[in-house]
Amino acid sequence: MDIIVCIKQVPDSYDISWDKSTGSLSRQSTGAILNPIDKNTLEAALTLREERGGFITAISMGPDQAEEVLREALGMGIDKAILLSDKVFAGADTLATSYALSCAIKKINRFDMVICGKESYDGVTGHVGPQLAEFLDLPQLTNSTEIAVKKNKVLVKQKIEDGYRLLEASFPVLITVGKNINQPRIPSMEDIMDAYREKMIDIWRGEDLNSNTEGFGLNGSPTKSQSVYVKKLEKGSAEILKGEPDVTAKRLVEILKEKGLL
Amino acid sequence: MDFALSGESKMMVKAAKDFALKEIEPVTEKIEREDALPDDLLQKFAKARMLGMMVPREYGGIGSSALNVILVAEELAKTASAAVFVMALNNSIAETIHYWGSEDIRQRFIPSLCDGSNYASMAFTEPATGSDPTAITMTAKHEGDHFILNGTKRFITNGHKNGSGVFYAKDETEKVTAYMVEKNTGGYTWSKPWSLMGLAGQGLVDVFLKDVKVSQENILGEPGKGFHILLRWIAGERIQQMAFMTGMGQECLNQSLKFAKERMVRARPMTAMQGFQWMLAEMHASIEACRWWTYRVACMQDAGDDFQIDSAALKLFVVPTIQEVARKALQIHGSYGYCKDYKIERLYRTIAHAGITASSTELQKTIVGSALSRSKDI
Repeated sequence: MDIIVCIKQVPDSYDISWDKSTGSLSRQSTGAILNPIDKNTLEAALTLREERGGFITAISMGPDQAEEVLREALGMGIDKAILLSDKVFAGADTLATSYALSCAIKKINRFDMVICGKESYDGVTGHVGPQLAEFLDLPQLTNSTEIAVKKNKVLVKQKIEDGYRLLEASFPVLITVGKNINQPRIPSMEDIMDAYREKMIDIWRGEDLNSNTEGFGLNGSPTKSQSVYVKKLEKGSAEILKGEPDVTAKRLVEILKEKGLL
Repeated sequence: MDFALSGESKMMVKAAKDFALKEIEPVTEKIEREDALPDDLLQKFAKARMLGMMVPREYGGIGSSALNVILVAEELAKTASAAVFVMALNNSIAETIHYWGSEDIRQRFIPSLCDGSNYASMAFTEPATGSDPTAITMTAKHEGDHFILNGTKRFITNGHKNGSGVFYAKDETEKVTAYMVEKNTGGYTWSKPWSLMGLAGQGLVDVFLKDVKVSQENILGEPGKGFHILLRWIAGERIQQMAFMTGMGQECLNQSLKFAKERMVRARPMTAMQGFQWMLAEMHASIEACRWWTYRVACMQDAGDDFQIDSAALKLFVVPTIQEVARKALQIHGSYGYCKDYKIERLYRTIAHAGITASSTELQKTIVGSALSRSKDI
């Protein structure tokens, strides 16, 4: 089974700072990590390959330093890594990102399954997986907590608001996964060495994708950020309710209602 | 001069951190309670390819560097568990066998240390000796194509577990030679493990050799040069030990910061008070100095430089520095730090080991001082 996994480099939330002049994330001063759910995404693909054989390609879009997350994926055991890196991809919203990824996947051509994390740690939109399925005209099985392959069908257990449902689709298919689908493996020291010393990362530029570059980056993004700000938290005052429990409880309910919290 | 760690090294640190959280932290209380490491831990280290990291792949290792080994050790040491000592010992002894051993010895003894099927031991210390090679009483009598070893070794890590050990004994010429000894051989017995102040589960035992037959093919390095082997091994061991100390020092600071941020005194967190800020700042500066000096000496080892004096000077600096870091961490925690419910209690006990084991801090003064006295630079 040939699987394509889409992964993303995101800012480390413990190390975030903002550029006050532009109101945007200061990426130069920010540490970057592999989007945490993408580790589960990679693990899901690796588990399927162990069960059924096949070939795993990981794709990421980002600046040159996004190569680090592809090295991590190689360390976990994927077969091939592709980085979409070009100024033409810069400023992409989720639609332009999905479009660029779909162009790369069409170029790869041969695949049975595309797996994405259900959302990224920074954007938290959950758009890319479903949009990518639309661009590729694939059935989409989202928010999966279990994946099983039987004959020519893929079955997933999907987490929904008040429970689960079982979904089935034919190949090729796009699946998004959540964090509770598995326990990602830890790359061994030897595999980490190999990821850096023995394996290559293919860099694809905009012109390599044989597509209309108008759909890439800022040009292809209908979403424009007007401004970004950090919400200021002001120190409030505390009111201590004293008296009999039933009286203070009633008063508490009144206060919460006044504040629109109940 | 490049102070940046490579992407490979940084990812190894991250993997070591994940390993510590997944495989060591959850069992630390059990290790403390039972004074024994889980039987499957060595296999887990092997699967993570953390054993034999410095020996080439043809012997079962991965051909990495001393720097990467100590980076991994530093991260694992934040657990303040003896588990990291087992990992480090299999690494340093496999490297020693590779450095000094014949091709036959390399082939026979290294792979099992890398695949986690055997525990390594280094057996020099005896009941009546410290670090003095002339005081060794274990004997090796040459008989035909083998030697007969007799005597007692003290405080031997993993001396009671399957595997091989490097044993130091005197032959008829009174010179010290290193012999590779299979621990499951006839005449090999051991005591119950010593109960230690810290490092629960490390498994230090006394080993008794009574007419243990060792092939002459098992001589490590040259006959009569055993002390050279010991000195080089212990110099590398010191770097690893200082990486443990740096990692544990960092964990002392992490735990202290967490405690001081949460602990309110007169409606303010402890971190808002200058006295505690100064303690935290001093801890941070001390740890950084220990960290980068440790990395530098590991780089000397990788470059093939003589690092024995430097590793002694390193220990001379790091041990008291990190012990002071631990003391400050305990003060910041107050009475809570003296309770076993808080990690700082285990860290404090574990950090106490380093001034005594793998040669004392005082001995490092002699090594460095005598080297300075011999120096012709001034």
